[in-house]
Amino acid sequence: MLLSLAFKNITKSKGRSVTTILLSTIATIFFIAYVALMDGSHQQIIKNSVEIYTGYAHVNLKGYREESDYGHLIEDANIIDSILKNERAIKAYAPRFETYALLSAGETSVGSMITGIIPSAEKRLSKLESSLVRGRYLDNHDTHAIYLGNELAKRLKVDIGSQISLVGSSIDYSIAADLFTVKGIFKTGLFDFDAQSAFVNKPYLDTIMLSDNKASYFTLTFHDNDHIDRATTALQHKLPSAYEAVNWKNLLSALVQAMLVDSIFGYISISIFFLVIFFVIMIFSYVNIYTRIREIGLLRALGLTSKDIFGMLFAEILLLATFSIVIGTIIGASIAYYYELHPIVISGIAETYREYGVVSDEIPTHFDFFTIAWNALTIFVLNLASIIYPVSQINKLTAMEAIRYV
Amino acid sequence: MKRLLTLLLITLSLHASEAQNIIKKLEKNLRGDYMYATMQMIVTSKRGQRTVKIESWSKGNKKSFIKILYPKKDRGITFLKIDNQMWQYIPKIERTIKIPPSMMLQSWMGSDFTNDDMVKESSLEEDYNAKILSRKADLATLELIPKENAAVVWGKIIVDVDLKNSVPAKETYYDDMMQKVRVMTFSKVEKHGSHKIPMIMELKPLDANKKKNRTKIIFEKINYDAKIDPSYFTKHALKRYSR
Repeated sequence: MLLSLAFKNITKSKGRSVTTILLSTIATIFFIAYVALMDGSHQQIIKNSVEIYTGYAHVNLKGYREESDYGHLIEDANIIDSILKNERAIKAYAPRFETYALLSAGETSVGSMITGIIPSAEKRLSKLESSLVRGRYLDNHDTHAIYLGNELAKRLKVDIGSQISLVGSSIDYSIAADLFTVKGIFKTGLFDFDAQSAFVNKPYLDTIMLSDNKASYFTLTFHDNDHIDRATTALQHKLPSAYEAVNWKNLLSALVQAMLVDSIFGYISISIFFLVIFFVIMIFSYVNIYTRIREIGLLRALGLTSKDIFGMLFAEILLLATFSIVIGTIIGASIAYYYELHPIVISGIAETYREYGVVSDEIPTHFDFFTIAWNALTIFVLNLASIIYPVSQINKLTAMEAIRYV
Repeated sequence: MKRLLTLLLITLSLHASEAQNIIKKLEKNLRGDYMYATMQMIVTSKRGQRTVKIESWSKGNKKSFIKILYPKKDRGITFLKIDNQMWQYIPKIERTIKIPPSMMLQSWMGSDFTNDDMVKESSLEEDYNAKILSRKADLATLELIPKENAAVVWGKIIVDVDLKNSVPAKETYYDDMMQKVRVMTFSKVEKHGSHKIPMIMELKPLDANKKKNRTKIIFEKINYDAKIDPSYFTKHALKRYSR
């Protein structure tokens, strides 16, 4: 009976009902789209950092993350190679040898990160090859060839065909030096990376650094990177105890933390918006309920208890909220889904925010059932909560007071 | 009371000036106008031990020229320091390279010394305020706190000074957070001309990750009286004296 009474009230007061529905629907759409966009842009930044170079997981000697020096190298890379080769969950892997050295051209010298890579294997593990802007990518037989970031090339004032000298330290701490020809220049969009990184075919770099069968770490990607924690733990069990398998959540922990902080600020901003929405709905309900105070008084006089009145008003908001949340969720989820497939393009955003890891003008949303569900539920709960105060106030009045209320 | 305070202030200032005098005497003894030396640098790290033989020429603390004699792989590599700039010549690639500021904190020749240690011109006397912490017979312990505008990297240095020979016995370096960073010990004092020099220096970093690291320098020859040809302190010298 309460439900049919509530339904009758909704249809009777069309203006009030439409306004409540509109407010809740817009809030739902806005919340779902906002969170999807925020999560999408964060995931895009992390994905870029992971896929451009870092990789989904690394295997390294314990202590290497804290002190990335020659005292923490993988001394027998073949052992790790044979373990990774037999691990079915791994899609691709390759060793890398990273060292800090001086690159010099003419009068200009720049301290750079020099990495020995297996060029063919890196194609499946990073975006180094696809980031090529001039010249060519490295191949497995290159000797004096170097592949430079575009910002580093600018700092050294070199281009394709230029000769540069490399001076660093071999792993026995003797001086390592050689001349290289710039074969290719890449641009990933990650400014610091492009300004500091240079790549050389690892077997050749090993002859200079005396690092044959040694590696700083192995980078790898799993067939299923969505369950990376499980895959990394499984891999850890197969490694000798001196080694560790670390996934991108730890490798990029600073970035992950930064994204988390950004999300918290995002939620704080949006919660202010919800506070406004909540009070608007509450004030609206308050005014609305008080305009119906005589009607409520009459119902009380006819024998309805304050509990029945609460039930009736609660049923009204329940019906309105359910309707608007369903509509809002359908529209919001459609927006999240559409823009995940067809990302929003804002020209120039990568240029402006490149130091924050934004390398593309495309900002995709993130469509996730769980996130959408809790977003919708939040608005639903806010709607229901908004009538608690007005109803509690009205229930303080007796039937006679309510009928006589002016 | 007033007289007592004045007496206290005079005592304190005499104490400070005595500390400054000790440092002044120490630096004067260690630093000649010109110095020629040959030495061995023994670097111990997690990866093992390595010996480097070095020949060096210097003029005051502004100019120096270093040539690597051993190991064979590094033979002929030369370094030139003029003021706070440093160049390096590598015979294998026949290139002279200027060490940029960004590389100054990198290790020098795989040792626990940095490039910055090699080029810095800081003078304990000019850049630090000295205070005597204790004094027992011929051994004084001084605390050196950087002067306000001194361009130095240390927050504090505690120096044990052998007063009889005016040489340091031990130097403990603290960073700006007043954490101990490294300890340098000096031993085997010998007289060379009018100078008394510790022939062995050992640097030990205190970083937990570098527990096995130490760098020992053993002077083989030191000559303070040699007049050094100014041509050593030019960029041309890097290639010319590399052979």
